Amino acid sequence: MASLMSLRRELFSLARILSGVSHLVRFLLFFLMQITVTEEPDMLFQKVVILVKGHDRAVLDSYEFFATMAAKELGITIGKVFEPPKAIERLTLLKSIHIFKKHRVQYEMRTHYRCIELYNITGCTAQVYLEYIQRNLPEGVAMEVTKTAMEKIPDHILEPLWKEIPTDDKPSQ
Amino acid sequence: MMKIYSSSQKFGHKHLTATVHNRAARIRVGKGDRPVTYEQAHHPHHIAHRKGWLSQHTSNLKGEDRAAERTIEDVFIRRFVFGTFHGCLANEIVIKRRGNVLSVCAVMLQKLPPQKFYFLIGYTESLLSHFYKCPVKLEIQTLQDKAVYKYL
Repeated sequence: MASLMSLRRELFSLARILSGVSHLVRFLLFFLMQITVTEEPDMLFQKVVILVKGHDRAVLDSYEFFATMAAKELGITIGKVFEPPKAIERLTLLKSIHIFKKHRVQYEMRTHYRCIELYNITGCTAQVYLEYIQRNLPEGVAMEVTKTAMEKIPDHILEPLWKEIPTDDKPSQ
Repeated sequence: MMKIYSSSQKFGHKHLTATVHNRAARIRVGKGDRPVTYEQAHHPHHIAHRKGWLSQHTSNLKGEDRAAERTIEDVFIRRFVFGTFHGCLANEIVIKRRGNVLSVCAVMLQKLPPQKFYFLIGYTESLLSHFYKCPVKLEIQTLQDKAVYKYL
């Protein structure tokens, strides 16, 4: 994995800077067995949206504190951290095994959400941060990650077509 | 629980005495000689308020699937552990799933010598790992007696 190699070199320097955070440093140094350099350009993400869902709001609160603290220590710009409204799925079932249609039991399943948006993050940092976050996901909590990557505009779009060749008779496309 | 309103079409009130007739997961108040743990003393509507969850996995969240398979696994694991450590369980088993790992947490009474406990723990872990094709960890704590919350 070429990006992983350049990631390791970058993070070794990061690890030296962040010597104050011992847990992160131990985690980062654990992966830095070899240091290699590559020429491949890194992926750039305009936005990385992490949506965590769970049944327990307190668990999501503590996980949000942990994720935002980790992002701050790594120097990632945190955008919005907000709580989308909870989703409740309700079922109405018959209370008795036989007859008694008028007597029912209702159950519900609540899904609480928490959304963390990170802006302008490189591929290497995103990979490390997400791996750290996902290794420490509590049980009963699910995560969805949406990444918005930025790509260089291809050269043939930059200049309008009519400026290039005025004399040639080209069929219209 | 007293009867508050009676069902009446004139006022459009709903029948509000539903809680009198629910019998799910409740130990009824008796003479005061029956010891009851915290888990047993609280009724199911206290889940998420005073009680936690005994089985923690993500398949019951919105947009997730395979809930039925997890439930069947849970039921089997509870019965299996109840049978292997017969008479030693102090409280309900808590089952947690993180990634691929199945973590079974239990509180036991000190009825068996430690060597037998270690053997049974190893036996359970290896057998369940082979059944479910995933690492199964058993986290056991022991007590002298059951932790009684109140007497009903």
